[in-house]
Amino acid sequence: MHASGRPRLSLAAAILVWACVASGFAQSTSQPHYLITNDDGVFGNSVTFYTIGANGGLTLTSQVQTAGLGIGGGFFSTNRISLLNSTGNECVYAADAATGDIIGIDVTTLAVGGSASGSTTDSGATNGIGLAMNGRYLYASYTASNTIGTFQVQPGCSLSFVNDTPVVGLQAGFIAGMAIHGNLLVVTYGDGSIESFNIASGPPVSNNDEQNSTGYTQSLGVAYPNGVEITKDGRYAIFGDTSTSTVVEVSDISAGSLTTTVVYTLGTAVSASNITLSPDETLLYISNTQGDKVTAAFFNEYTGKVSMGCASGSLRGVSSKWSYLASLALDTNAGTGGTIYVAEFGAPSYIGMVSVSSSAGKCTLREFPSSPLSAANSSGLLSIGTFPPRSF
Amino acid sequence: MHIFSRRLLVIAVCAIVFSAAAAAQCPARPAIGTVVQDALSLYSQNGVLNAAFDLGYSVDTTGYTHYCYQYHTSAGLVESPTLRLNPGDQLVLSVKDSIPTGGPSAMSGMDMSSMPGTTCGDGGNATLQSTNVHFHGLNVPPICHQDDILDTLIQPGSPPFQFNIQIPTTEPPGLYWYHPHVHGFTEFQVNGGAAGALIVEGMEKYRPEVTGLTERVFVIRQQFLVPWVPGPYELTLNYQTVPPPHTPFPVIQMKAGERQFWRVANASLQDFIPLQLWAMGGVPQPMELIALDGYPLAAPRYETTILIPPAGRAEFITPAFSLNAGPQFATLAYSTGPTGNPDSEFLLAGIELTTAGNPKAPAPTSSHAAPQSLSALKFAGLKDATVTGTRKLYFSEEFGGTNGPIQFYITVDGQRQQVFQPNEKPAIITKVGAVEDWTIENHALETHDFHIHQIHFMMLEVNGKPVPNDLRDTIEIPYWSGTGPYPSVKVRMDFRDPTIAGTFVFHCHILLHEDLGMMHKIQVLP
Repeated sequence: MHASGRPRLSLAAAILVWACVASGFAQSTSQPHYLITNDDGVFGNSVTFYTIGANGGLTLTSQVQTAGLGIGGGFFSTNRISLLNSTGNECVYAADAATGDIIGIDVTTLAVGGSASGSTTDSGATNGIGLAMNGRYLYASYTASNTIGTFQVQPGCSLSFVNDTPVVGLQAGFIAGMAIHGNLLVVTYGDGSIESFNIASGPPVSNNDEQNSTGYTQSLGVAYPNGVEITKDGRYAIFGDTSTSTVVEVSDISAGSLTTTVVYTLGTAVSASNITLSPDETLLYISNTQGDKVTAAFFNEYTGKVSMGCASGSLRGVSSKWSYLASLALDTNAGTGGTIYVAEFGAPSYIGMVSVSSSAGKCTLREFPSSPLSAANSSGLLSIGTFPPRSF
Repeated sequence: MHIFSRRLLVIAVCAIVFSAAAAAQCPARPAIGTVVQDALSLYSQNGVLNAAFDLGYSVDTTGYTHYCYQYHTSAGLVESPTLRLNPGDQLVLSVKDSIPTGGPSAMSGMDMSSMPGTTCGDGGNATLQSTNVHFHGLNVPPICHQDDILDTLIQPGSPPFQFNIQIPTTEPPGLYWYHPHVHGFTEFQVNGGAAGALIVEGMEKYRPEVTGLTERVFVIRQQFLVPWVPGPYELTLNYQTVPPPHTPFPVIQMKAGERQFWRVANASLQDFIPLQLWAMGGVPQPMELIALDGYPLAAPRYETTILIPPAGRAEFITPAFSLNAGPQFATLAYSTGPTGNPDSEFLLAGIELTTAGNPKAPAPTSSHAAPQSLSALKFAGLKDATVTGTRKLYFSEEFGGTNGPIQFYITVDGQRQQVFQPNEKPAIITKVGAVEDWTIENHALETHDFHIHQIHFMMLEVNGKPVPNDLRDTIEIPYWSGTGPYPSVKVRMDFRDPTIAGTFVFHCHILLHEDLGMMHKIQVLP
């Protein structure tokens, strides 16, 4: 028994190390650890890098000018930051909503590697350009022209434009949120409808599954899928809804396309337009975008079920410093993600910092005493991310 | 919240283009820093007030659009006269839409016909250039040629449309107002100044405190360069711009030692106005509150701050100031919540005390009225009436982003949250004779402003606590903080009057919200 046990222990250890490396938990000492903001500046856009300290604290490290222009607002779920953590190609991609270009910044040098634009008709000037990528391709959601631009990832944080795919919601909505798993791209249109695409060949090809979500069609509530996440195993797509309470929806996508969503109403905090899964997939963090809280829901990665966990108190500075919460980012790529960062939209904007603890079916969210941190470079912060990014 | 979506942006851009192309029609407005004058008053004669308005349009030198109710006098054009009627009088008002055509008429047209055969006036699509008139606060029938905004549409260039309204003999004396109410486009015309006062005479019969006092009528309007586009705004006092600090501000003249009867209408798009009268050093002075929303209070009360929500009215007696008091008329800042627009503090006017007062001010009210009981007025006995039903309604909002898409809802509890559609069925059906207690909650992080057409309602509670039983037609419901119970008001609705049978609306009187659908129909069956 003893002899046979050793190899199993060694295998388990190997799996653990592999998992940690794959998830980015084993952040090498040479890899920087940043919180990154797309500042969305109207008179000159920039990307700001904050070094994340051991305690989750943030130190402003660098502001990189994009040479383009932002719009100082837009859709909550249209995240204008996308991160690539590939050996030799560690990049931050950021979109300039007003001028329509996407720049790549080398995370190791903080130098701009390249810039690319879509077609002449691509525009995100009303509500932004969202970004999502899978290592080979980057997809840009142009919210004004209602197109998905496909860009091929090039060395040195560069991009090359491939083509456009026109899209539209069932109620004529505009593309808002995007998420990728493998060859599947899932999008929301902000009008109640959702759709998935096959991206095996690069440019998105519809899976012909465009549909209205259950939250949109159910009798009493009104909910519009906005943000979207996909589980690590690609089994579930989770939608954060723009709603008058906290509503998320889950679709089983294990067959490679969207199925009818299941609705979860989690509380009275207003709206759930931005969501992110914890690295261990036990918690779904919800930015109550039109409210003033962060909510954590318990997520069952095997069944896709969601249940209410806990909500933070009212985050400091609401109304006096900022008006909306927007995208979320996590400190670490292990466990429940450590510190939760949340973009606080204002002029100037702020970054809220919330700690999480979870055990035995209970959780607690508490705002840091030092929160919020001024994001003085941004007059309309909606989009943040952390590097190294989560592995899924 | 002041936001714009793609559709709104198109409208706004069209409006700017249209503005640049339009010829001036409206009379010049008073210069900044001058003496504030009351609007021309038109009085009924032999029981009838006959008047004709032309709704005109122009753009001033600073780029603000003007929509103006033009009234032709022998001395030239005047804007938005005050209509003065006695209970029992008839108002015969002809309104011609003279907004120039050729602008963005085709854009975002909205079919206003609720059912086949119910068109009133010209019909067709509602556009930026079509109009109608709502007589805000009047307790009159919701029918064509009276106070119907659901089916009435006046198109530019059409022959004048005639309103013919019998003021009920039991109509409460007080300050009402008139303004356009074309769903989807109301904000533009009100932003341009299309609003005026309507007074039902006889306040001194019920509130003898005002007898013999000089009466002033002030209409506070609000203008954005382009409605629906975020940006700074201006307030105007009787069309005189209230400027930023340290520049000449409007001047109200009154005699030292004199108390005056002021009637103030908040005709702004969305500005909540906490009014104050300041003595030297900005010390707020008590004002003797006489009436709210055109309904005399059961008993006057002294207030140092009178909050007038958008579309509300307050009538009060000023304190007497001594010659060296340096009084000022101001509105305080008001928080409308995390997602609401900040309402700024403004110095509305400086008060110039003289020995002669303002020679152009209206003559004092008559001094021979005898006090009468409020029991002769509409809604008398409402407090003790048998309540036949209760309802809960709530305001809520959804924002898909900082610029929209946005959905503004007012919902009857148990029904689906949805925005107003002109062809929708009534959200509430009741019947003549009903007396209902409504609890109206605010689930949004922005203050809303409840208004119902055709009737006043009695205030019962705010956040579950009893309040004076004032009769109102518009009431603010503060924003929800995100935690704890929803802010609420409880009011008593009076559907006993058979003349208001028909279909009308209730909505948020933040006009952007109303235009975007925070409104529904109520049908009162005969």
